[in-house]
Amino acid sequence: MIEKGKISALQMGKMIYLAITPTAILTASGISFNFARQDLWLSPVWAFSGVIAVPVVLGLNRMFPDRSVVQTLRDTVGRLPGWVIGGALWLYYLYISGIVLREYGEFVVGAFLSDTPLIVVLGSLVLVCALAVRGGVEIVGRFADLFLPAFLLLFLLIVLLIIPDLHITYMMPILGDGILPSMKGSLVLQIWFGELSIAWFFLPHVSDRENAKKSLWITFGAIILTLVLSNLVTLLLLGELTGGYSFPFLILARYIDLAEFFAHLEALFMAIWVLGAFVKICVFFYITVIGAAEWMNLADYRPIVFPVALLLTLFGVWVAANYQEMTHTISTSLIPLSFTMFIVLPALIYAIARIRRPGSGNRYSSGRTRK
Amino acid sequence: MRRKRKDMLANGRRTAPAFLSLLVCAFLLAGCWNAREVNDLAIITATGVDLTEDGQIELSVKIYLTSPSGSGSMSGQPDGNKGTSVVRSVTGINMADAASRLQKKISRKVFWGQADVFLFGERMARAGLEAPMDFLMRHIASRERAHVFVCDGPAKNVLLLSPSIERSVADALVHMAEQQTGLNITMMDLAQMLISKSKAAVLPIVVIREEQGEKQSFPYIQGVSVIKNGKMIGRVNEDVTRGIMWLRNEIKQATVTVSPEQSDGYVSLHLHRSQTRLIPKIEGGRWIMTVRITGQDDIVENTSDLDLSVPDHIGKVEKELEKVVNTRVKMALGQAQKEFKADIFQFADNFYRKYPKIWEANADRWDEIFPEVEVRLETDLRIARPGLIGKNFFRQEQR
Repeated sequence: MIEKGKISALQMGKMIYLAITPTAILTASGISFNFARQDLWLSPVWAFSGVIAVPVVLGLNRMFPDRSVVQTLRDTVGRLPGWVIGGALWLYYLYISGIVLREYGEFVVGAFLSDTPLIVVLGSLVLVCALAVRGGVEIVGRFADLFLPAFLLLFLLIVLLIIPDLHITYMMPILGDGILPSMKGSLVLQIWFGELSIAWFFLPHVSDRENAKKSLWITFGAIILTLVLSNLVTLLLLGELTGGYSFPFLILARYIDLAEFFAHLEALFMAIWVLGAFVKICVFFYITVIGAAEWMNLADYRPIVFPVALLLTLFGVWVAANYQEMTHTISTSLIPLSFTMFIVLPALIYAIARIRRPGSGNRYSSGRTRK
Repeated sequence: MRRKRKDMLANGRRTAPAFLSLLVCAFLLAGCWNAREVNDLAIITATGVDLTEDGQIELSVKIYLTSPSGSGSMSGQPDGNKGTSVVRSVTGINMADAASRLQKKISRKVFWGQADVFLFGERMARAGLEAPMDFLMRHIASRERAHVFVCDGPAKNVLLLSPSIERSVADALVHMAEQQTGLNITMMDLAQMLISKSKAAVLPIVVIREEQGEKQSFPYIQGVSVIKNGKMIGRVNEDVTRGIMWLRNEIKQATVTVSPEQSDGYVSLHLHRSQTRLIPKIEGGRWIMTVRITGQDDIVENTSDLDLSVPDHIGKVEKELEKVVNTRVKMALGQAQKEFKADIFQFADNFYRKYPKIWEANADRWDEIFPEVEVRLETDLRIARPGLIGKNFFRQEQR
């Protein structure tokens, strides 16, 4: 392992929370709505990918507690296949970081700085992220520590302030067409829930490993809760209009108007978004860098941070020609792709490892009593 | 000691480039490309959309000038309310075209962020609102909370007014709408109605009260424009408007004057709160809507010969009150169901929410079903307080 830093289980939870929720709040509700309609709020409950991802990465970490992801790959499937899979994995993380970055850029340019070139918006954020990533996992973790309270506070503030404008009838009829629409709506959310498997990269650096399991499940629950809440308020405000908006939660933030005094809160939402996106991009950027460095057998990952930053900026521009293409990608081809890379791949590695080294899976099992 | 200093130096050498790049980032914080100075803005407060004879869009805007050149701003006192607003109008093939031409006619950068009033001319409304609405919802600076009205005649005429009470015509209209003496429809409400299952909407109508001199004329809200499938198909008068507001649960305050049976004179009641609930029911192929109106009133004037400190008499007045409200509601229902055949009360959405399956099966037939929906009124208005006096002191012969 070339990363020597240590984080706490709680920090890992915070990092993962911030690596999933910001973009999910922003873009997922509009896409989900087109399938789930008034059951939009129920969609995040069907978080199957998370239910698979969390035990798999925990299991992998139990078997290879102090081995990094690339090392684990080599240990389980052998040198060459491990090398191929490792390469695919970090390239995939580069791609998904590009998508995340682009989502951030599309939002900032599309809703606020319409005259600013995309590359400037992307480049400036990547630069800041690169500085954080050079600091290593500890720094990224500490940023999560720092920004999570602000993120949650602003998010809850927006939700609280919009309550007077909500129409409870917009969620009726509940399950009018059965359970299926809400499940279809959750399909796109599986990308986000699959992202829970990024814990694979962080678990080896967790100092209080015995709390990791609890922390991950709590994070998972918190993400579901956040998305149910954000989808619910979006639906109750926008009703049938939800699917038509590019960024439904933005409309919500700027709809707030308390006595003509507390109004135009879109700036507040922008603040949430920049804080959240910063940590999110840092996390994915960090994984890309560490994955690439280990894959190339480097002694240190710091020298490649800036080159990868350049690549990442380019990916941000390359991933899609325009906003429509990006949402189309997210709601179509990205779903199977991310399911493969986030869920199937770790699960497969875990299965292979279990078959090759049976019985070694309980080294860190937290004291569950058998009856 | 020395070693420590060396470390610090090394640290400084490492952090310096990082610090420098952060400094460079700070320049971007101002958002160079989107930088705007308040003094260089033409702040639009109200927008009027009209359709010209030859089918073009005429976009008129009321612009509030932050610091008009040559005005006595040296004194530090604002100019009061004269001469700080101007109206500009342009024509184009659609909204965006007209909006871009607008910039050509204005020396300052057009700023839409404060546009709180949108007025559609009657001709525009009759031609259809889909086209302008798309522009207004898509535009990143427009607000979902902006108030929308239809004008009696061209919208531009309303913008040209400068009512003396408020700072601008936009303020005047916003305040009138928010008092909810007439309908109060925002951009978001309108969009919700246009895409609702009933495909029908209502918008308040702005009428100009002509008086001597430009300063004296003022706009006010009277009546409702009925919109079906995005096009205005008719208008209703003030009494029916109240009925529509009762049905849409938009009555916030009202003063109703009734004349109880077998009594001479009138009793006036002020409504403090009310709620209207629509309860849909489908029974053996019959579509029934129960309208339950509840509310609380206070007596504000009693010139009848009833002594309203007697509980029995209160019941009588309550009954009379309910009758008056029912009449208005029935008038509104009659016009909507029989004359316009437009579901402006969103009955369709209520039926859908309770009976999604039956609704889906009959969605195409809604235009036929709506006029036949049986409406049952359950009005229950209570008188809570008599005001500060019980009897009328000044009428001797009260019962």
